Amino acid sequence: MSEDWLEIKDENVNVEEIMRQIRERIAVRSGTTLPDEQKPEAVAQTLWKEMIGGAEEGSAIGKHVSIRQRDCDIVPRYYVIDWRIPILGPIHAVVRRIINDEIRRYLFPSLEKQSRFNRQALRALESLSQENARLRQQIEELEHASKGQP
Amino acid sequence: MQVHQFHPTVSYGDAISDQIQSLQCLLRRLGHRSEIFCEQLPIHFQGRVQQIAQYARNSSPVSVLLLHFSLGYSPEVIGWLKRTPDRKVLVYHNITPHAYFSGVNDVYLEAAQAGREQLGRLAALTEAGWGDSTFNCQELAERGWSRLGVLPIVFDSKRYAVRPDRRVLQQWQSGVNILFVGRVSPNKRFEDLILTFYHLKRHVLPNARLLLVGSARGMEPYLEFLQALVKRLGLSDVVFAGHVSTEQLAAYYQCASVYLSMSEHEGFGVPLLESMHFGVPIVAYTAGAVPETLSGSGLMVTRKDHAAVAELIGMLLEDQDWRARIVARQRERLRDFSPEKVEGRLRELLRDLGV
Repeated sequence: MSEDWLEIKDENVNVEEIMRQIRERIAVRSGTTLPDEQKPEAVAQTLWKEMIGGAEEGSAIGKHVSIRQRDCDIVPRYYVIDWRIPILGPIHAVVRRIINDEIRRYLFPSLEKQSRFNRQALRALESLSQENARLRQQIEELEHASKGQP
Repeated sequence: MQVHQFHPTVSYGDAISDQIQSLQCLLRRLGHRSEIFCEQLPIHFQGRVQQIAQYARNSSPVSVLLLHFSLGYSPEVIGWLKRTPDRKVLVYHNITPHAYFSGVNDVYLEAAQAGREQLGRLAALTEAGWGDSTFNCQELAERGWSRLGVLPIVFDSKRYAVRPDRRVLQQWQSGVNILFVGRVSPNKRFEDLILTFYHLKRHVLPNARLLLVGSARGMEPYLEFLQALVKRLGLSDVVFAGHVSTEQLAAYYQCASVYLSMSEHEGFGVPLLESMHFGVPIVAYTAGAVPETLSGSGLMVTRKDHAAVAELIGMLLEDQDWRARIVARQRERLRDFSPEKVEGRLRELLRDLGV
Protein backbone atom coordinates (compact mmCIF):
# COMPACT_ATOMS: atom_id res chain seq x y z
CA MET A 1 0.00 0.00 0.00
CA SER A 2 1.54 3.31 -1.00
CA GLU A 3 1.58 6.25 1.40
CA ASP A 4 -0.65 9.32 1.04
CA TRP A 5 -3.62 7.52 -0.41
CA LEU A 6 -5.98 9.27 1.97
CA GLU A 7 -7.03 12.94 1.83
CA ILE A 8 -8.79 14.40 4.86
CA LYS A 9 -9.02 18.14 5.20
CA ASP A 10 -9.67 18.32 8.92
CA GLU A 11 -7.18 19.89 11.33
CA ASN A 12 -8.44 17.65 14.13
CA VAL A 13 -7.56 14.51 12.23
CA ASN A 14 -4.10 13.03 12.02
CA VAL A 15 -4.13 11.41 8.59
CA GLU A 16 -0.76 9.74 9.14
CA GLU A 17 -2.06 8.12 12.30
CA ILE A 18 -5.19 6.83 10.56
CA MET A 19 -3.14 5.32 7.76
CA ARG A 20 -0.82 3.71 10.33
CA GLN A 21 -3.77 2.19 12.16
CA ILE A 22 -5.21 0.88 8.90
CA ARG A 23 -1.87 -0.69 8.00
CA GLU A 24 -1.76 -2.35 11.41
CA ARG A 25 -5.29 -3.69 11.11
CA ILE A 26 -4.55 -5.14 7.69
CA ALA A 27 -1.29 -6.65 8.94
CA VAL A 28 -3.14 -8.49 11.73
CA ARG A 29 -5.14 -10.45 9.20
CA SER A 30 -2.25 -11.06 6.77
CA GLY A 31 -2.22 -14.66 8.01
CA THR A 32 -5.53 -15.21 6.26
CA THR A 33 -4.19 -14.10 2.87
CA LEU A 34 -5.67 -15.97 -0.08
CA PRO A 35 -3.66 -17.29 -3.05
CA ASP A 36 -3.40 -14.65 -5.81
CA GLU A 37 -5.94 -16.28 -8.15
CA GLN A 38 -8.51 -16.52 -5.35
CA LYS A 39 -8.21 -12.88 -4.29
CA PRO A 40 -11.50 -11.07 -4.91
CA GLU A 41 -9.81 -8.56 -7.23
CA ALA A 42 -8.49 -11.43 -9.40
CA VAL A 43 -11.90 -13.12 -9.34
CA ALA A 44 -13.50 -9.89 -10.58
CA GLN A 45 -10.93 -9.50 -13.33
CA THR A 46 -11.38 -13.06 -14.58
CA LEU A 47 -15.15 -12.74 -14.50
CA TRP A 48 -15.03 -9.45 -16.40
CA LYS A 49 -12.96 -11.12 -19.15
CA GLU A 50 -15.39 -14.05 -19.26
CA MET A 51 -18.59 -12.03 -19.33
CA ILE A 52 -17.77 -8.68 -20.92
CA GLY A 53 -14.28 -8.93 -22.30
CA GLY A 54 -14.11 -5.47 -23.81
CA ALA A 55 -15.26 -5.73 -27.40
CA GLU A 56 -12.90 -4.39 -30.01
CA GLU A 57 -13.71 -1.04 -31.51
CA GLY A 58 -14.35 -0.95 -35.23
CA SER A 59 -15.11 -4.11 -37.08
CA ALA A 60 -12.63 -6.00 -39.26
CA ILE A 61 -15.53 -7.78 -40.89
CA GLY A 62 -16.69 -4.36 -42.05
CA LYS A 63 -13.89 -4.44 -44.63
CA HIS A 64 -15.60 -7.36 -46.35
CA VAL A 65 -19.27 -7.05 -45.44
CA SER A 66 -20.95 -3.71 -44.71
CA ILE A 67 -22.24 -4.53 -41.22
CA ARG A 68 -21.51 -2.14 -38.37
CA GLN A 69 -22.23 -2.48 -34.67
CA ARG A 70 -24.80 0.27 -35.15
CA ASP A 71 -26.67 -1.85 -37.72
CA CYS A 72 -27.01 -4.68 -35.21
CA ASP A 73 -29.25 -2.58 -33.03
CA ILE A 74 -32.77 -2.79 -34.43
CA VAL A 75 -34.54 -1.06 -31.54
CA PRO A 76 -36.12 2.23 -32.71
CA ARG A 77 -34.78 4.29 -29.82
CA TYR A 78 -35.12 7.73 -31.30
CA TYR A 79 -38.64 7.55 -32.74
CA VAL A 80 -40.05 11.04 -32.51
CA ILE A 81 -43.79 11.73 -32.47
CA ASP A 82 -44.20 15.31 -33.49
CA TRP A 83 -46.98 17.64 -34.64
CA ARG A 84 -47.36 20.64 -36.83
CA ILE A 85 -51.14 21.19 -36.85
CA PRO A 86 -52.45 23.34 -33.97
CA ILE A 87 -55.26 22.12 -31.62
CA LEU A 88 -55.78 18.67 -33.20
CA GLY A 89 -52.04 18.02 -33.58
CA PRO A 90 -51.22 17.68 -29.85
CA ILE A 91 -54.24 15.41 -29.25
CA HIS A 92 -53.22 13.24 -32.18
CA ALA A 93 -49.63 13.09 -30.86
CA VAL A 94 -50.74 12.13 -27.33
CA VAL A 95 -52.86 9.25 -28.69
CA ARG A 96 -50.00 8.06 -30.88
CA ARG A 97 -47.58 8.25 -27.94
CA ILE A 98 -49.84 6.21 -25.69
CA ILE A 99 -50.20 3.56 -28.41
CA ASN A 100 -46.43 3.71 -29.01
CA ASP A 101 -45.70 3.22 -25.30
CA GLU A 102 -47.98 0.19 -25.19
CA ILE A 103 -46.35 -1.37 -28.25
CA ARG A 104 -42.89 -0.65 -26.82
CA ARG A 105 -43.78 -2.49 -23.63
CA TYR A 106 -44.19 -5.88 -25.28
CA LEU A 107 -42.12 -5.42 -28.42
CA PHE A 108 -38.92 -3.94 -27.01
CA PRO A 109 -37.74 -6.98 -25.00
CA SER A 110 -37.82 -9.09 -28.19
CA LEU A 111 -36.07 -6.38 -30.18
CA GLU A 112 -33.40 -6.03 -27.49
CA LYS A 113 -32.93 -9.80 -27.59
CA GLN A 114 -32.58 -9.76 -31.38
CA SER A 115 -30.13 -6.84 -31.17
CA ARG A 116 -28.00 -8.73 -28.70
CA PHE A 117 -28.08 -11.78 -30.97
CA ASN A 118 -27.07 -9.59 -33.94
CA ARG A 119 -24.10 -8.23 -32.02
CA GLN A 120 -23.00 -11.71 -31.00
CA ALA A 121 -23.39 -12.90 -34.60
CA LEU A 122 -21.24 -9.98 -35.76
CA ARG A 123 -18.59 -10.88 -33.23
CA ALA A 124 -18.68 -14.51 -34.41
CA LEU A 125 -18.32 -13.35 -38.02
CA GLU A 126 -15.46 -11.13 -36.95
CA SER A 127 -13.58 -13.99 -35.32
CA LEU A 128 -14.29 -16.28 -38.33
CA SER A 129 -12.97 -13.56 -40.61
CA GLN A 130 -9.78 -13.33 -38.58
CA GLU A 131 -9.44 -17.10 -38.54
CA ASN A 132 -9.97 -17.19 -42.31
CA ALA A 133 -7.27 -14.58 -42.86
CA ARG A 134 -4.89 -16.54 -40.66
CA LEU A 135 -5.57 -19.79 -42.57
CA ARG A 136 -5.13 -18.04 -45.94
CA GLN A 137 -1.76 -16.80 -44.82
CA GLN A 138 -0.74 -20.27 -43.69
CA ILE A 139 -1.83 -21.77 -47.05
CA GLU A 140 0.16 -19.14 -48.92
CA GLU A 141 3.21 -19.84 -46.80
CA LEU A 142 2.84 -23.58 -47.40
CA GLU A 143 2.43 -23.02 -51.14
CA HIS A 144 5.57 -20.88 -51.21
CA ALA A 145 7.42 -23.50 -49.23
CA SER A 146 6.27 -26.33 -51.55
CA LYS A 147 7.27 -24.30 -54.69
CA GLY A 148 10.70 -23.76 -53.23
CA GLN A 149 11.21 -27.52 -52.77
CA PRO A 150 12.92 -29.48 -55.62
CA MET B 1 -34.13 39.88 -22.07
CA GLN B 2 -34.85 36.33 -23.20
CA VAL B 3 -32.66 33.48 -21.94
CA HIS B 4 -34.02 30.13 -23.09
CA GLN B 5 -32.71 26.60 -22.67
CA PHE B 6 -32.49 23.56 -24.92
CA HIS B 7 -31.90 19.88 -24.24
CA PRO B 8 -32.92 17.00 -26.53
CA THR B 9 -35.31 15.69 -23.88
CA VAL B 10 -36.50 16.32 -20.33
CA SER B 11 -37.56 13.65 -17.86
CA TYR B 12 -38.33 13.11 -14.17
CA GLY B 13 -35.59 12.19 -11.71
CA ASP B 14 -32.75 13.03 -14.08
CA ALA B 15 -30.04 15.42 -12.82
CA ILE B 16 -29.82 17.45 -16.04
CA SER B 17 -33.61 17.85 -16.29
CA ASP B 18 -33.71 18.99 -12.66
CA GLN B 19 -30.93 21.49 -13.35
CA ILE B 20 -32.73 22.87 -16.41
CA GLN B 21 -35.90 23.43 -14.39
CA SER B 22 -33.98 25.02 -11.50
CA LEU B 23 -32.19 27.34 -13.91
CA GLN B 24 -35.49 28.35 -15.45
CA CYS B 25 -36.72 29.44 -12.00
CA LEU B 26 -33.49 31.39 -11.39
CA LEU B 27 -33.59 33.06 -14.81
CA ARG B 28 -37.19 34.12 -14.26
CA ARG B 29 -36.26 35.40 -10.81
CA LEU B 30 -33.56 37.49 -12.48
CA GLY B 31 -36.27 39.01 -14.66
CA HIS B 32 -35.59 37.15 -17.90
CA ARG B 33 -38.16 35.50 -20.09
CA SER B 34 -37.14 31.85 -20.00
CA GLU B 35 -38.61 28.77 -21.67
CA ILE B 36 -37.38 25.20 -22.05
CA PHE B 37 -37.19 23.67 -25.53
CA CYS B 38 -36.79 19.99 -26.41
CA GLU B 39 -36.44 17.94 -29.55
CA GLN B 40 -39.01 15.46 -28.30
CA LEU B 41 -41.78 16.78 -26.11
CA PRO B 42 -42.26 14.56 -23.04
CA ILE B 43 -45.95 13.89 -22.23
CA HIS B 44 -45.57 14.66 -18.50
CA PHE B 45 -44.03 18.06 -19.18
CA GLN B 46 -46.63 19.40 -21.59
CA GLY B 47 -47.22 23.06 -21.02
CA ARG B 48 -43.88 23.47 -19.28
CA VAL B 49 -41.64 22.42 -22.15
CA GLN B 50 -41.92 23.36 -25.82
CA GLN B 51 -40.73 21.78 -29.03
CA ILE B 52 -37.89 23.35 -30.98
CA ALA B 53 -40.32 23.89 -33.87
CA GLN B 54 -41.92 26.54 -31.67
CA TYR B 55 -38.64 28.30 -30.96
CA ALA B 56 -38.84 30.48 -34.07
CA ARG B 57 -41.23 32.96 -32.42
CA ASN B 58 -38.79 33.43 -29.49
CA SER B 59 -35.73 33.63 -31.66
CA SER B 60 -33.80 36.86 -32.13
CA PRO B 61 -30.12 37.80 -32.47
CA VAL B 62 -30.16 39.28 -28.96
CA SER B 63 -31.80 36.30 -27.19
CA VAL B 64 -29.54 33.85 -25.39
CA LEU B 65 -29.99 30.11 -25.83
CA LEU B 66 -28.37 27.81 -23.27
CA LEU B 67 -27.60 24.48 -24.93
CA HIS B 68 -27.35 21.69 -22.38
CA PHE B 69 -25.02 19.02 -23.69
CA SER B 70 -24.63 15.55 -22.22
CA LEU B 71 -24.79 13.33 -25.30
CA GLY B 72 -24.67 14.09 -29.01
CA TYR B 73 -27.30 16.17 -30.79
CA SER B 74 -29.14 14.78 -33.81
CA PRO B 75 -28.33 16.19 -37.29
CA GLU B 76 -31.73 17.95 -37.20
CA VAL B 77 -30.76 19.82 -34.03
CA ILE B 78 -27.37 20.78 -35.45
CA GLY B 79 -29.12 22.10 -38.57
CA TRP B 80 -31.59 24.06 -36.42
CA LEU B 81 -28.76 25.54 -34.35
CA LYS B 82 -26.95 26.65 -37.49
CA ARG B 83 -30.09 28.40 -38.76
CA THR B 84 -30.94 30.04 -35.41
CA PRO B 85 -29.44 33.55 -35.09
CA ASP B 86 -29.53 33.65 -31.25
CA ARG B 87 -26.47 33.98 -29.05
CA LYS B 88 -25.63 30.47 -27.90
CA VAL B 89 -23.90 29.17 -24.79
CA LEU B 90 -23.01 25.53 -24.35
CA VAL B 91 -23.71 24.15 -20.87
CA TYR B 92 -21.56 21.04 -20.62
CA HIS B 93 -22.57 18.25 -18.25
CA ASN B 94 -19.84 15.91 -19.52
CA ILE B 95 -19.94 12.72 -21.53
CA THR B 96 -18.77 9.39 -20.14
CA PRO B 97 -15.68 8.23 -22.10
CA HIS B 98 -16.95 5.75 -24.66
CA ALA B 99 -14.41 3.05 -23.78
CA TYR B 100 -16.34 2.30 -20.58
CA PHE B 101 -19.27 0.98 -22.64
CA SER B 102 -17.17 -1.43 -24.67
CA GLY B 103 -18.75 -4.87 -24.50
CA VAL B 104 -21.65 -3.52 -22.43
CA ASN B 105 -23.71 -1.30 -24.70
CA ASP B 106 -22.63 -0.55 -28.25
CA VAL B 107 -25.34 2.07 -28.73
CA TYR B 108 -24.05 4.07 -25.74
CA LEU B 109 -20.50 3.52 -26.94
CA GLU B 110 -21.21 5.02 -30.35
CA ALA B 111 -23.36 7.83 -28.92
CA ALA B 112 -20.65 8.80 -26.42
CA GLN B 113 -18.00 8.71 -29.13
CA ALA B 114 -20.14 10.77 -31.54
CA GLY B 115 -21.06 13.22 -28.76
CA ARG B 116 -17.46 13.91 -27.91
CA GLU B 117 -16.58 14.40 -31.59
CA GLN B 118 -19.52 16.79 -31.90
CA LEU B 119 -18.38 18.73 -28.84
CA GLY B 120 -15.31 19.96 -30.71
CA ARG B 121 -17.43 21.19 -33.60
CA LEU B 122 -19.91 23.01 -31.33
CA ALA B 123 -17.24 25.52 -30.27
CA ALA B 124 -17.74 27.31 -33.60
CA LEU B 125 -21.50 27.61 -33.02
CA THR B 126 -21.38 29.03 -29.49
CA GLU B 127 -19.85 32.13 -27.98
CA ALA B 128 -19.20 30.73 -24.48
CA GLY B 129 -18.99 27.42 -22.67
CA TRP B 130 -20.20 26.78 -19.13
CA GLY B 131 -19.55 23.62 -17.16
CA ASP B 132 -21.03 22.19 -13.96
CA SER B 133 -17.49 21.98 -12.68
CA THR B 134 -13.95 23.13 -13.43
CA PHE B 135 -13.34 19.55 -14.55
CA ASN B 136 -15.97 19.98 -17.29
CA CYS B 137 -14.62 23.42 -18.21
CA GLN B 138 -11.13 21.97 -18.62
CA GLU B 139 -12.43 19.65 -21.31
CA LEU B 140 -14.16 22.57 -23.05
CA ALA B 141 -10.89 24.50 -22.99
CA GLU B 142 -9.10 21.53 -24.56
CA ARG B 143 -11.72 21.48 -27.31
CA GLY B 144 -11.46 25.09 -28.36
CA TRP B 145 -13.57 27.20 -25.99
CA SER B 146 -11.93 30.34 -24.69
CA ARG B 147 -14.83 32.02 -22.86
CA LEU B 148 -15.51 29.64 -19.99
CA GLY B 149 -17.42 29.71 -16.74
CA VAL B 150 -18.43 27.29 -13.99
CA LEU B 151 -22.15 27.12 -13.26
CA PRO B 152 -22.62 24.50 -10.52
CA ILE B 153 -25.66 22.26 -10.14
CA VAL B 154 -28.45 23.88 -8.12
CA PHE B 155 -29.33 21.86 -5.05
CA ASP B 156 -32.90 22.57 -4.09
CA SER B 157 -33.57 20.85 -0.76
CA LYS B 158 -37.33 21.32 -1.26
CA ARG B 159 -37.20 18.57 -3.85
CA TYR B 160 -36.31 16.11 -1.07
CA ALA B 161 -38.92 17.35 1.40
CA VAL B 162 -40.99 14.20 0.96
CA ARG B 163 -42.11 11.50 3.32
CA PRO B 164 -39.48 8.73 3.06
CA ASP B 165 -40.90 5.45 1.83
CA ARG B 166 -42.00 3.45 4.85
CA ARG B 167 -41.40 0.05 3.29
CA VAL B 168 -37.77 0.87 2.46
CA LEU B 169 -37.23 2.21 5.99
CA GLN B 170 -38.74 -0.89 7.57
CA GLN B 171 -36.67 -3.16 5.40
CA TRP B 172 -33.23 -1.57 5.73
CA GLN B 173 -33.20 0.84 8.67
CA SER B 174 -31.41 -1.49 11.07
CA GLY B 175 -27.71 -2.34 10.82
CA VAL B 176 -24.83 -0.79 8.92
CA ASN B 177 -25.68 0.23 5.37
CA ILE B 178 -23.13 1.27 2.75
CA LEU B 179 -24.91 3.23 0.05
CA PHE B 180 -24.17 4.18 -3.52
CA VAL B 181 -26.60 6.00 -5.79
CA GLY B 182 -26.10 6.17 -9.53
CA ARG B 183 -26.92 4.55 -12.82
CA VAL B 184 -25.50 1.03 -13.08
CA SER B 185 -22.80 1.96 -15.54
CA PRO B 186 -19.20 0.70 -15.87
CA ASN B 187 -17.67 4.15 -15.24
CA LYS B 188 -19.23 4.11 -11.75
CA ARG B 189 -17.13 1.02 -10.99
CA PHE B 190 -19.72 -0.96 -9.06
CA GLU B 191 -17.24 -3.84 -8.97
CA ASP B 192 -14.95 -1.72 -6.76
CA LEU B 193 -17.87 -1.10 -4.41
CA ILE B 194 -18.53 -4.85 -4.24
CA LEU B 195 -14.83 -5.62 -3.68
CA THR B 196 -14.59 -3.04 -0.90
CA PHE B 197 -17.75 -4.46 0.61
CA TYR B 198 -16.21 -7.96 0.43
CA HIS B 199 -13.31 -6.83 2.67
CA LEU B 200 -15.65 -4.88 4.93
CA LYS B 201 -17.97 -7.80 5.49
CA ARG B 202 -15.25 -10.43 5.81
CA HIS B 203 -12.87 -8.56 8.11
CA VAL B 204 -14.52 -5.47 9.58
CA LEU B 205 -18.32 -5.49 9.83
CA PRO B 206 -19.85 -8.92 9.18
CA ASN B 207 -23.38 -7.55 9.44
CA ALA B 208 -22.93 -4.74 6.92
CA ARG B 209 -25.17 -4.33 3.91
CA LEU B 210 -24.46 -2.78 0.49
CA LEU B 211 -27.34 -0.81 -1.01
CA LEU B 212 -26.93 0.01 -4.70
CA VAL B 213 -29.60 2.38 -5.94
CA GLY B 214 -29.91 3.17 -9.64
CA SER B 215 -31.35 2.01 -12.90
CA ALA B 216 -29.55 -0.65 -14.95
CA ARG B 217 -31.57 0.00 -18.09
CA GLY B 218 -29.40 -0.52 -21.14
CA MET B 219 -26.60 -1.89 -18.95
CA GLU B 220 -27.95 -5.42 -18.53
CA PRO B 221 -24.68 -7.22 -19.41
CA TYR B 222 -22.87 -5.13 -16.77
CA LEU B 223 -25.57 -5.86 -14.17
CA GLU B 224 -25.31 -9.58 -14.98
CA PHE B 225 -21.53 -9.35 -14.43
CA LEU B 226 -22.01 -7.61 -11.07
CA GLN B 227 -24.57 -10.14 -9.92
CA ALA B 228 -22.28 -12.98 -11.00
CA LEU B 229 -19.41 -11.34 -9.09
CA VAL B 230 -21.50 -11.14 -5.91
CA LYS B 231 -22.37 -14.82 -6.32
CA ARG B 232 -18.80 -15.89 -7.10
CA LEU B 233 -17.50 -14.05 -4.00
CA GLY B 234 -20.19 -15.73 -1.91
CA LEU B 235 -21.45 -12.36 -0.70
CA SER B 236 -24.81 -11.84 0.91
CA ASP B 237 -26.55 -8.54 1.71
CA VAL B 238 -25.84 -6.83 -1.62
CA VAL B 239 -29.04 -5.11 -2.73
CA PHE B 240 -29.59 -3.89 -6.31
CA ALA B 241 -32.55 -1.59 -5.74
CA GLY B 242 -32.94 -0.40 -9.35
CA HIS B 243 -34.65 2.87 -10.22
CA VAL B 244 -36.46 4.38 -7.22
CA SER B 245 -38.93 7.18 -6.55
CA THR B 246 -37.92 10.35 -4.63
CA GLU B 247 -39.68 8.98 -1.52
CA GLN B 248 -37.73 5.72 -1.78
CA LEU B 249 -34.48 7.61 -2.45
CA ALA B 250 -34.98 9.71 0.69
CA ALA B 251 -35.55 6.50 2.65
CA TYR B 252 -32.38 4.89 1.29
CA TYR B 253 -30.35 7.95 2.34
CA GLN B 254 -31.96 7.85 5.78
CA CYS B 255 -30.92 4.22 6.16
CA ALA B 256 -27.35 4.85 5.02
CA SER B 257 -24.41 4.76 7.43
CA VAL B 258 -21.80 5.74 4.83
CA TYR B 259 -21.96 6.85 1.21
CA LEU B 260 -19.22 5.14 -0.79
CA SER B 261 -18.25 6.19 -4.31
CA MET B 262 -15.58 4.44 -6.34
CA SER B 263 -16.65 6.08 -9.59
CA GLU B 264 -13.90 6.85 -12.09
CA HIS B 265 -15.73 9.45 -14.13
CA GLU B 266 -18.09 12.08 -12.74
CA GLY B 267 -18.85 15.41 -14.35
CA PHE B 268 -20.28 16.67 -11.06
CA GLY B 269 -21.83 14.01 -8.76
CA VAL B 270 -25.33 15.00 -7.62
CA PRO B 271 -25.63 12.02 -5.18
CA LEU B 272 -22.70 13.56 -3.26
CA LEU B 273 -24.87 16.62 -2.61
CA GLU B 274 -27.79 14.39 -1.66
CA SER B 275 -25.57 12.60 0.86
CA MET B 276 -24.52 15.98 2.29
CA HIS B 277 -28.18 16.94 2.58
CA PHE B 278 -29.19 13.71 4.33
CA GLY B 279 -26.21 13.83 6.71
CA VAL B 280 -24.47 10.73 5.36
CA PRO B 281 -20.64 10.83 5.60
CA ILE B 282 -18.96 10.37 2.22
CA VAL B 283 -16.00 8.20 1.37
CA ALA B 284 -15.07 8.76 -2.27
CA TYR B 285 -12.39 7.92 -4.77
CA THR B 286 -10.92 11.12 -6.19
CA ALA B 287 -11.84 11.06 -9.86
CA GLY B 288 -13.32 13.56 -12.29
CA ALA B 289 -15.15 16.37 -10.53
CA VAL B 290 -15.56 14.49 -7.22
CA PRO B 291 -12.76 16.34 -5.32
CA GLU B 292 -14.14 19.66 -6.55
CA THR B 293 -17.72 18.84 -5.53
CA LEU B 294 -16.60 17.63 -2.10
CA SER B 295 -14.06 20.46 -1.71
CA GLY B 296 -12.43 18.97 1.36
CA SER B 297 -15.60 17.73 3.02
CA GLY B 298 -15.90 13.94 3.23
CA LEU B 299 -13.04 11.47 3.04
CA MET B 300 -11.21 11.06 -0.23
CA VAL B 301 -9.08 8.12 -1.29
CA THR B 302 -6.60 8.45 -4.12
CA ARG B 303 -5.92 4.71 -4.52
CA LYS B 304 -8.31 1.83 -4.94
CA ASP B 305 -7.01 -0.29 -2.11
CA HIS B 306 -10.24 -2.08 -1.29
CA ALA B 307 -9.03 -3.59 2.00
CA ALA B 308 -7.77 -0.21 3.22
CA VAL B 309 -10.99 1.58 2.24
CA ALA B 310 -12.98 -1.09 4.11
CA GLU B 311 -10.86 -0.47 7.23
CA LEU B 312 -11.32 3.28 6.82
CA ILE B 313 -15.11 2.83 6.76
CA GLY B 314 -14.85 0.68 9.88
CA MET B 315 -12.84 3.34 11.70
CA LEU B 316 -15.23 6.07 10.61
CA LEU B 317 -18.21 4.15 11.96
CA GLU B 318 -16.44 3.50 15.26
CA ASP B 319 -15.77 7.21 15.88
CA GLN B 320 -19.06 9.10 16.24
CA ASP B 321 -17.34 12.48 16.82
CA TRP B 322 -15.37 12.18 13.62
CA ARG B 323 -18.50 11.16 11.75
CA ALA B 324 -20.37 14.19 13.13
CA ARG B 325 -17.55 16.57 12.12
CA ILE B 326 -17.57 15.19 8.57
CA VAL B 327 -21.34 15.56 8.32
CA ALA B 328 -21.12 19.15 9.59
CA ARG B 329 -18.41 20.04 7.03
CA GLN B 330 -20.46 18.45 4.27
CA ARG B 331 -23.53 20.50 5.27
CA GLU B 332 -21.41 23.63 5.12
CA ARG B 333 -20.18 22.72 1.64
CA LEU B 334 -23.77 22.06 0.50
CA ARG B 335 -24.61 25.74 1.04
CA ASP B 336 -22.43 26.57 -2.00
CA PHE B 337 -25.02 24.87 -4.18
CA SER B 338 -28.09 26.60 -2.78
CA PRO B 339 -30.36 28.31 -5.35
CA GLU B 340 -29.30 31.71 -3.92
CA LYS B 341 -25.57 31.01 -4.37
CA VAL B 342 -26.00 29.61 -7.88
CA GLU B 343 -28.25 32.54 -8.78
CA GLY B 344 -25.40 34.91 -7.94
CA ARG B 345 -23.04 32.87 -10.11
CA LEU B 346 -25.55 32.81 -12.96
CA ARG B 347 -25.95 36.58 -12.74
CA GLU B 348 -22.15 36.98 -13.02
CA LEU B 349 -21.94 34.68 -16.02
CA LEU B 350 -24.77 36.51 -17.79
CA ARG B 351 -23.13 39.83 -16.99
CA ASP B 352 -19.94 38.56 -18.65
CA LEU B 353 -22.04 37.97 -21.75
CA GLY B 354 -23.38 41.49 -21.51
CA VAL B 355 -26.87 40.31 -20.55
